[in-house]
Amino acid sequence: MFDDLTTTALSVAAAGMSARQRATADNISNINTPNYLAKRVSFEASLQSAINAGNPAAANITTQTSLEPTETNGNNVNLDEETVSITDTGLKYQTDIEALTTKFQLLKTSIGNA
Amino acid sequence: MSGLFDTIGISGTGLTVDRKWMDAIADNLSNANDTAPGDKPVFAERYVEAQSAPGGGTEVVGVRYGSSTGIASYDPQNPQADAKGYVRHADIDMSGQMTQMIMAQRGYEANLQMISRATDAYQQALQLGK
Repeated sequence: MFDDLTTTALSVAAAGMSARQRATADNISNINTPNYLAKRVSFEASLQSAINAGNPAAANITTQTSLEPTETNGNNVNLDEETVSITDTGLKYQTDIEALTTKFQLLKTSIGNA
Repeated sequence: MSGLFDTIGISGTGLTVDRKWMDAIADNLSNANDTAPGDKPVFAERYVEAQSAPGGGTEVVGVRYGSSTGIASYDPQNPQADAKGYVRHADIDMSGQMTQMIMAQRGYEANLQMISRATDAYQQALQLGK
């Protein structure tokens, strides 16, 4: 009943944002760890093609390591980038949750003040 | 580590590592003026060894020590001088320690910032369906 395209697409997006937030936490906690390579989460392109194909549940959330040049200690975490990511990801996550809430409110209304 | 609120746990590991690092620096600084007789080891600089944890986050995997040879100086008047008149001083590089202190402190702050943002996001998710 709740597996319609909108709900599924929004949940996948929220899961992707959550994974990205986890990766950011991982990157920040390892900001001074020698030879640590930053993690990058991507899912938007995959989700978009999955939605176009009519099956958002088929979207993949993938984690890769950043290929940016490293510092002398072999670490390539960039704190500016990570700080921007915290805010950006947080706001996008919030937007997903807002949209899901609205969707559920519509369902509640249609059920009839249950 | 794959729980409901893992982002907070991951940032928590960062806080722990940074705090242990600061503890080591505090130990090094407080012992910066230690001396020992020329024929005995003197205070050795403490290094915290960290690496990324398998389940996410970071962890302290050990502590290593610098040279306990220190810097020997000829000071026969010193009560600690050995038979040849030498006293050892701890070999602590002040500017190096202060630089590390700033790195650890800023890292700690960044992890705290991450925890507070993650808490906001989780609180938002808890409102779902209300």
